[in-house]
Amino acid sequence: MDTLLSLSNDLAAAVERAAPAVVAVHARRLPSTGIHWQPGIVVTAEHTVRTAEDITVTMADGRSLPAVLAGRDPGTDLAVLRVADAGSAVATPGDDAALRVGHMVLAIGYGPRASWGVISALGPRWRSWRGGDIDRLVRLDLVLYPGFSGGPLVDAAGRVVGLNTSGLARETRLALPVTMVTRVTDELLRKGHVSRGYLGLGMQPVRLPEPLRAQLGLGAGALIVVMVEPAGPAARAGVLLGDVLVALDGAPVSDLDDVQARLGSDRVGAEILAVVLRGGVRTELRITVGEQPRRRG
Amino acid sequence: MRTVLAEPVAAAASSLAARLAGITVEVRGHGRDASTGAPAGAGVVWRADGLILTNAHVAKGAVSIVLPDRRVLPARLAARDVEQDLAALVVEATGLSAAEIGDSDALRVGELVLAVGNPLGVVRALSAGLVHATGRRFIQADLRLAPGNSGGPLADARGRVVGLNAMIVGELAVAVPSRAGWRFVRERLGR
Repeated sequence: MDTLLSLSNDLAAAVERAAPAVVAVHARRLPSTGIHWQPGIVVTAEHTVRTAEDITVTMADGRSLPAVLAGRDPGTDLAVLRVADAGSAVATPGDDAALRVGHMVLAIGYGPRASWGVISALGPRWRSWRGGDIDRLVRLDLVLYPGFSGGPLVDAAGRVVGLNTSGLARETRLALPVTMVTRVTDELLRKGHVSRGYLGLGMQPVRLPEPLRAQLGLGAGALIVVMVEPAGPAARAGVLLGDVLVALDGAPVSDLDDVQARLGSDRVGAEILAVVLRGGVRTELRITVGEQPRRRG
Repeated sequence: MRTVLAEPVAAAASSLAARLAGITVEVRGHGRDASTGAPAGAGVVWRADGLILTNAHVAKGAVSIVLPDRRVLPARLAARDVEQDLAALVVEATGLSAAEIGDSDALRVGELVLAVGNPLGVVRALSAGLVHATGRRFIQADLRLAPGNSGGPLADARGRVVGLNAMIVGELAVAVPSRAGWRFVRERLGR
């Protein structure tokens, strides 16, 4: 058969494979897309969930079901909903580690509706402007049509390799890698939120004087402690106002991103080794990482 | 490096593009548009005996047709339907290469589509994309179009014309389905 026709048939088959697990989420004025992830569990983009009540989900077969918000994490732009449906098809996850720049991908919206393009760039772990750690940058060269946020990015075989969102970067179409969606979804189902490590410190970047750097073998930047929360994790470990934090877990820290990168959800309750300069003397402290208090409201 | 599919796909796409260019005409107005030299739009050679289909919004008033072989012929407006955005033009010519017309109702979301037209005056330019959504009245395609694509063919991976590109809505291409074209020709021209 003609190669172009074979490709065309494969792309249409990829849409048909993915479509039964693609749902419409009604949680704002315009519907967004969601993925039927596990029986009765729908994952979508958090920024499209503007209300916590009266949420409905339209399944691929057209049935409209009430949904309950099971958890949300603005940092990673993921929200999880529960619906009373166990019979509908769920998504087939693919392998996001196998993605390469130039790979052909499809974004699927409810209907189904389809958008075609390629992986335009891949990058390392990054922090979203909403404060969440994203495992890997997956930048897309395709159009995310209105309402496509929260829907699946699928490979040429129709397997879900990511969740599309236009809510994490302006003018840039991104997908959250499927392995990360799985991990965050599990955490949201367990706890309703994503916990982040917490030291109870306010810090500001400072430059270290050259002689001190040379003497102690340090980098140019560090963080000076300007606030210690009373009885917080760092206070209990003996951190004092004016201490200069230079390393956490053996890695140098020169800004707050370096610190946040060491305080993932998995570190809550664990001990972290902090190296501080106190009066010019290198001091080691062991801090038991706390959990970041959640914002109310 | 030898590729399994990319080169055969590229070769198939370029031969299809040439085939589609051979059934696509330029539609030129005689009014103010004519002085700029830019085509008002495109059209599809529907039948070898000189029947050309385009959009109603392209065929306003007297127009000329530029055939793929560069012949310029005056066209007679045989029928026009603003609601459906369809117009039938007739030129004095025989033995033209006519489009193979496909069935727009058989389109599947995700299948490849190609468009040929004269976007912004570039003659017989190709765009590639896929079927975004299907509906009764219009085909929506995930495809980059520009003014000047109007009236030109939207074709499937076999090269069969499944629609006439009519509008750009947001970033989507919207086409009049080939079924509407069939019906229009049958009802308005009786053939």
